[in-house]
Amino acid sequence: MRRFLAHRTGTAGAVVLAVAALVALVAPLLIPAEALDVTRVTAPAWQPPGARQWLGTDHTGRSVALLMAQGAGTSLFVGLTAAVLAVGIGTLVGIVSGHFGGLLSGALLRVTDFFLVLPALVLAIALSTVLPRGLGTIVLAIGLTSWPSTARVVRAQTLTIEARPFVERARALGGGHGHVIGRHVLPSVVPLVLVNATLAVASAIVAESTLAFLGLGDPTRISWGAMLHQAQLHGAVPRAAWWFLLPPGLAIVVVVLAFTLVGRALEAVVTPKR
Amino acid sequence: MRVKLGALLAVATTVVLGAPPVAAQQPVILKVAITQQIDSLNPFLAVFQSSTEVGRLMYDYLTAYAADDQAVTEGLARSWESSADKLTWTFTVPEGKKWSDGQPITAHDVAFTYNLMLTDEAARTANGSFVTNFASVTAPDDRTVVIRTKTPQVTMLALDVPIVPRHVWEHVGSVKDHANDRMPVVGSGPFVLTEHVAGQHIKLKANKTYWRGAPKVDELHFVYFQNSDAAVQALGKGEVDLVNRMAPAQFDSLAGKDGVTRNKAQGRRFTELLINPGAQTRTGEPIGDGHPALRDVRVRRAVAQAIDLDALVQRVNLGYAEKGAGLVPPVFTQWHWKPDEAQQRRFDPAAANAALDAAGYPRRADGTRFPLRLIGRAGRAYDEQASEYLKRSMGDIGIPLDVRLVSDNQLNEATTAATYDLAFSGWATNVDPDFVLSLHTCAQRPGADGKGGTTDAYFCDETYDRLYARQLSEFDQGERVRIVHQMQARFHDQVPAVVLAYDNALEAYRSDRFARFTTQPAQGGVIMAQNGVWGYYGAEPLQRAAPAPGSRWPAFAIGAAVLVALVVTALVLARRRRATAGERE
Repeated sequence: MRRFLAHRTGTAGAVVLAVAALVALVAPLLIPAEALDVTRVTAPAWQPPGARQWLGTDHTGRSVALLMAQGAGTSLFVGLTAAVLAVGIGTLVGIVSGHFGGLLSGALLRVTDFFLVLPALVLAIALSTVLPRGLGTIVLAIGLTSWPSTARVVRAQTLTIEARPFVERARALGGGHGHVIGRHVLPSVVPLVLVNATLAVASAIVAESTLAFLGLGDPTRISWGAMLHQAQLHGAVPRAAWWFLLPPGLAIVVVVLAFTLVGRALEAVVTPKR
Repeated sequence: MRVKLGALLAVATTVVLGAPPVAAQQPVILKVAITQQIDSLNPFLAVFQSSTEVGRLMYDYLTAYAADDQAVTEGLARSWESSADKLTWTFTVPEGKKWSDGQPITAHDVAFTYNLMLTDEAARTANGSFVTNFASVTAPDDRTVVIRTKTPQVTMLALDVPIVPRHVWEHVGSVKDHANDRMPVVGSGPFVLTEHVAGQHIKLKANKTYWRGAPKVDELHFVYFQNSDAAVQALGKGEVDLVNRMAPAQFDSLAGKDGVTRNKAQGRRFTELLINPGAQTRTGEPIGDGHPALRDVRVRRAVAQAIDLDALVQRVNLGYAEKGAGLVPPVFTQWHWKPDEAQQRRFDPAAANAALDAAGYPRRADGTRFPLRLIGRAGRAYDEQASEYLKRSMGDIGIPLDVRLVSDNQLNEATTAATYDLAFSGWATNVDPDFVLSLHTCAQRPGADGKGGTTDAYFCDETYDRLYARQLSEFDQGERVRIVHQMQARFHDQVPAVVLAYDNALEAYRSDRFARFTTQPAQGGVIMAQNGVWGYYGAEPLQRAAPAPGSRWPAFAIGAAVLVALVVTALVLARRRRATAGERE
């Protein structure tokens, strides 16, 4: 903990994330439903930022500031769950292929390679087109396309761990697969996985925004990517309505940056100095 | 060496001096932005709106629709008459009309075109519906075309079939494989196709010998754009002169822009909300999985009554539409039907709630009656926004709405297979309402295998079908109008679909280059996508004044750039020469 706090950039990132998480959790409780219901809003559309509307209004008269707060939840939720899914699959595949070796390892590695060479965005687009629209589909599409790098890293770590004498000792004393994996491999892989997960969240948030911007997201939910999609669809660009385009874009950049900073700091803490 | 350098400089000077006169002789070009691709240049195969529009520019039809009131007027034929039994039609093609290669246009060209369609299945691809009722087409002499029909047909003066030159097309082996791209393409319209680069541009030159008189512009270019945002930007910058099919927000963004005039026109399109009335095939087999409650006309009426059409027009169309009712938009004044006091369906959620209670669908403990699905197209601004309103409207009458916005193909699949409860749709209507009315007849439902037929809403109603058959053979105009109104009233009453709005056609043009365009109809009409090509044909460039200050600058700039480039090249060449000479020594 103290070592992490020594990284000033990492701490800054963590603070940003804490604020974003707080907003995401509190916003749905505080924002009245009418404020985001296009049929109930009373403000005129396309209002530039002012005293009443801090960030102006969108094409229907909804407050962009409220949309931002509401969208934070979706973006973070999708980012986190997709990252957990991706890292989960990656860890499982990595440990299994690293530990067992042989034919199974070969087969798993080829699958990993297959997903690694496939352009992730194209695959995600294909998946979200075929599957029914919804948040689950987006999470699945991102999770299924971004696990291979984790798998590779985890496999490498598993192999180095298993080559160490204490694992050999454990085997000699009669430790089975479960024991070796659970007691020795997993604990030493976990820090690495954590770092990976933090970085994966960042890329998952970008992926979610990309899909939503392309109109493949959940149309009934507000996210930052979906806001960009709507801004583009309803003519914010020809109107020069920068207040509808910039905030979601900047929010994505800031949150992704924060995750990356935290990830780097964690990496420095976890990896022993050489 | 010296000599070479001098020669290069001389070339450069002539380039600079020679540039301005070339610029002054530039032809007047009308540049039009389009976003839809061309499916074919072959008029027998082309079905996309963009392609038929280009087709109309290249080939005249037998008859045309006047610019000011869309009444039938002279096309290739100047006069026509029908026999007493309405089975034989005689058209007269006057002398003096010429193809763009100078050959005279005769009745034989017309007969050749129709007979090609009658004998060759491929030639019926795009416009086959017009000739299915034809018994024979003959040309007894150069001026007369005689068409015999199997049964009386009211659309005989609205045959939207491009007439092609016989002397060119009789050498065409297979219509299906004929690309029709030997430039310039011989035609009869006001413009001649001279160049087509797929995905980039289409260029046409004015037909100086056009029988109505040469167009006022020299060339007409269609320029492709990936999306309409880009097209609107290009208009703002003056890269194109005319843009149509703008979204309301884009149209608003051009308000007050210097040199741009906007044209808000009554469009031919309507947007509708399909309500699955219990879809069946032609043979009466149930198809799809529409919610059973919607088979009850009282439920459908309640759903329609709960939708606030005025709010949709104001907030989703941003006012650029008219509230919907019948199937024919108000631009077709006489066919358009307006519900009277008694037929009017007012927005009234309370009455809709009461009607649903009475129909046997009371609210359950959780306040809902039954759920419905709404399917629309993702990425279409209207669907994305209107679905939010419908969700609220339906919620107010106890119907939770599951909104699913999908890709174009998925939407088509769902509406064709009737796997929807509510769905967004829309159609464009023609001058003659026959087509849009025919979409709702029982016969248009798919066959037992789920294929064939182009039903719009799986509507099948005996009263409607009887009226449809009557209007089709009613030659008294007043009476036919009355029947068409009755049909729309019946459709409105049975609500297999709610016509939400008649969309305005939103266009804009560079008024600093073009003084005016001919709209159709004259009042509140469109420039592009007309029933004709009056918009392009009647485009009037502003008086060609002396080149505006600054217009010479590009020429000078290019000249100067060329000069600099040549000097640099010359110097580099000279230095290299010297260098190699030095090495040689």
